[in-house]
Amino acid sequence: MKPWKFSRKEKERLLNDGPKIWEAYNSMECQHRLPKNIHRDVKTAIAIARKFNNEVLRPMYLERELKHMEDHDFLSWDILKVAGDWKLYSLFIPKLFGGQGLNFLGLFPFIEEISSVCAGLGHIIFVHYLGIATVFPSFNAKILNKVLRDVAKSEKEGTPRLLDLVITEPDAGTDVQEPLLFDKARIGTDLQRTEGGYLLNGRKIFISNGHLSYWHIVMFWADRKNPAETFIQLVVPNGAKGFSFGNKEKKMGNLGSTASELIFEDCFVPDDMVTLECTDPHIAKSPKGVRWIIHAIVDYVVSSSRAGVGAIATGICRTAYEKALDYSKKKTIGQDLLINHQWAQIILTDMYRNTAMSRLVYMESSYADMLSGLFKLLTKKPIDAILRYTPKWMFALMSPLTGLRLTTWFLRKYYFDWYTEDERNVSSGLASIAKYTCSDIGLINANLALDIMGADGLRHEFGAEKCFRDVKLQQIYESTNQINQMNSFYCLVGSTAPEVEYFK
Amino acid sequence: MNAITSRPLNDTLCDERQAFAELARDLAAKKLVENIEENDRYPFGGLFTEAIDDAGTVGFYGVNLGAEHGGVDMNTGMIAVILEQLSRVDASLAAVVFTNAAALEIIKQASADADCSAVYGKISSLGVVPIAFQSFSGPDELEMPSVDNTGRVTGNACYVALGNIADYAIIPAKKNGVEGFSWYLLGLKENISTSKPIVSLGLHACPGVDIELSGAQGLLIGREGGGREYFNGMQDGMSLCAAAMSLGIMKGSYKSALEYTADRYQGGRQIIDWTQVRMMLANMAIEAKTGEALLARACQERDNELQGWEFTARAAAIHIGELATRSASDGVQLFGGNGYMKDYPQEKRMRDARQTQGLLGMAAYKKIQYIAASLEEDR
Repeated sequence: MKPWKFSRKEKERLLNDGPKIWEAYNSMECQHRLPKNIHRDVKTAIAIARKFNNEVLRPMYLERELKHMEDHDFLSWDILKVAGDWKLYSLFIPKLFGGQGLNFLGLFPFIEEISSVCAGLGHIIFVHYLGIATVFPSFNAKILNKVLRDVAKSEKEGTPRLLDLVITEPDAGTDVQEPLLFDKARIGTDLQRTEGGYLLNGRKIFISNGHLSYWHIVMFWADRKNPAETFIQLVVPNGAKGFSFGNKEKKMGNLGSTASELIFEDCFVPDDMVTLECTDPHIAKSPKGVRWIIHAIVDYVVSSSRAGVGAIATGICRTAYEKALDYSKKKTIGQDLLINHQWAQIILTDMYRNTAMSRLVYMESSYADMLSGLFKLLTKKPIDAILRYTPKWMFALMSPLTGLRLTTWFLRKYYFDWYTEDERNVSSGLASIAKYTCSDIGLINANLALDIMGADGLRHEFGAEKCFRDVKLQQIYESTNQINQMNSFYCLVGSTAPEVEYFK
Repeated sequence: MNAITSRPLNDTLCDERQAFAELARDLAAKKLVENIEENDRYPFGGLFTEAIDDAGTVGFYGVNLGAEHGGVDMNTGMIAVILEQLSRVDASLAAVVFTNAAALEIIKQASADADCSAVYGKISSLGVVPIAFQSFSGPDELEMPSVDNTGRVTGNACYVALGNIADYAIIPAKKNGVEGFSWYLLGLKENISTSKPIVSLGLHACPGVDIELSGAQGLLIGREGGGREYFNGMQDGMSLCAAAMSLGIMKGSYKSALEYTADRYQGGRQIIDWTQVRMMLANMAIEAKTGEALLARACQERDNELQGWEFTARAAAIHIGELATRSASDGVQLFGGNGYMKDYPQEKRMRDARQTQGLLGMAAYKKIQYIAASLEEDR
């Protein structure tokens, strides 16, 4: 008899007594649960990014960076257009909505690849998909269909219309991104009900892609004293009455993208562009409660966005390593090539290790997102098959069906009412870990590159100092690393201790 | 006090130190504090030539210059006092002062075993206009130009700090048949061409250029082949200055972070009242205090010429440089999104701290050289 013989029940108990399989082994779980084609999608996404890097980005990104340094108001519209010509803005939009239909799992390594040359463009593309990931959890299929089809159409026409996410305010940053702090936020914007829609007033700041986007996914609160239960998400297109752009921030790095001020002065948003509000019956009457649903919606967004920041940081981490490696093969220190100094070999190995570790962390978070987060429906084999093999023209014909209330009802039932605490905790917790781990590691690698590139490393044309400037942003946005530490505690550590209090 | 021997250390220069500190604080307050962002625009904006000139007017380019040449004849510990004060506000001007001091220190080292009066005599703007120098490289990292028997220097000198604003530069060069390398004084007007200003990570207003030398006339400084010895001597003293710049940036970072976190509300309270923030502030405070104690000790050892002061100075520069980069980065973090923006001083400090780590050579290689020198000393 085998000494470890156990019943199925006992095995189940053992697997739950410690790090759970779904918490600690997401990549392994994905091996048998993801449709095979997704594997091909991921490889295709990486190959497209590398080709784009070689043919478009690599020859010009450093020179372009100088233009941004010279003029902080300069925007790279031409690169934006070229990326559109390559269909990069619709690459991961399901064919159902007119996109190219690559699975979202490929988005993360795709972003790493683009960011390994230019974190600025990686950021632009990533934020566009972040906008999509923000409007997606409203599960307002009608608006989703309208906006995403417009993205695909405008891209085809050579005038790509991007999305962004609009939430931060001058006095409310961290606390309007962290649901546990919603009630304490100093919200400065105002939203009023009016005939046929809402009037928005106030300023939003630090909006990535602001000036570059057409569709702005904005968050407001109907009652500043009770933001957690009066959250509203709306879509504001460029040209909306009362909407305008303010300043562009002068940033240390990530210069290819922009951080914008958006101004709302009696900006009218009609009801048919309100994607989600707490008074929606699906939310107001949910057995889970409004606060839980809003928290889940935020976590759906940040689970994917923070893994994306991890991917950008990994791209930068990798660039730092590659720059240092290339340099060490050419630079002589004393009598020997730098790469032949043992101390330098160890530093380079650490840099390789850091990059590999960073990739593992954000990919594990991505897998968790596929199994337990925003993209879980897309991984179901029948859904994948329908989305993959149905011709685009047929989806176009079926498009009006997305306007049916039933579609939104089903999606909200699936994503709100059937969503579990465990799923939310693992996808959100691991995304936070990916975000703050990858960005911390990225900064370590940027420092190591400068450590061994000497005076040359400090010069712009060698590309290492750019890594140092770019990677710092990854520790700050999508909530600071400190807030992500707290979210990881909330999701993965504190959730095991009922007596724990948060933000005490 | 020396912790092991309890031997008291003299501080006879206390009054002078205080006077220089006040002078530097005053200059920083009047010339730097209002225009930090604008000054940092260089080379995409104008250079703060007025501040550079003023530093000369108040004597910052002559602190380690002998009295016979119009200087105040102090050691580099006194320059460190100035640099710390300047760096709290804007480290770029400190880097200008540093570069000049390092160049003068090379001549000072050479003067110990050769007559350098001709060198001093040739520098018409001595103590008034800063001298250019490759402040961000050690000799093992440089591809040096060559020099012929008539003193004509040919080749490239990379990243010469102040190379586009100085009248003179001190450059290392190699001569056929001579082991090692030698230092040369070069006028920067004839037989040279300079590149566009280098776009650097930090210390933007301490401009650097690459220089192409086409038979420029050089004047030998000290002994032929004595280059490494002079560099090492210079590095010992100037390490105090590099450490002081890093310390100044750290102290500036800490002060700004304290002010900002007391001012900024998130989650219903001043963020300084979140203990997570306090832990970060505590780390910054401890690092600044540790750096201050270490530098004070290194300067005291230098002033008292205690055996091994050179190692304390170099260790201080390496360690405080690392602390400053980390601390400045934490400072940005405490400012949140604002910390990343140029409207606030912290992102500049982060870049400057990292660039300062590169003074006198590659950060990692300086450690290898430190242990090599230490082992040599033990033998």
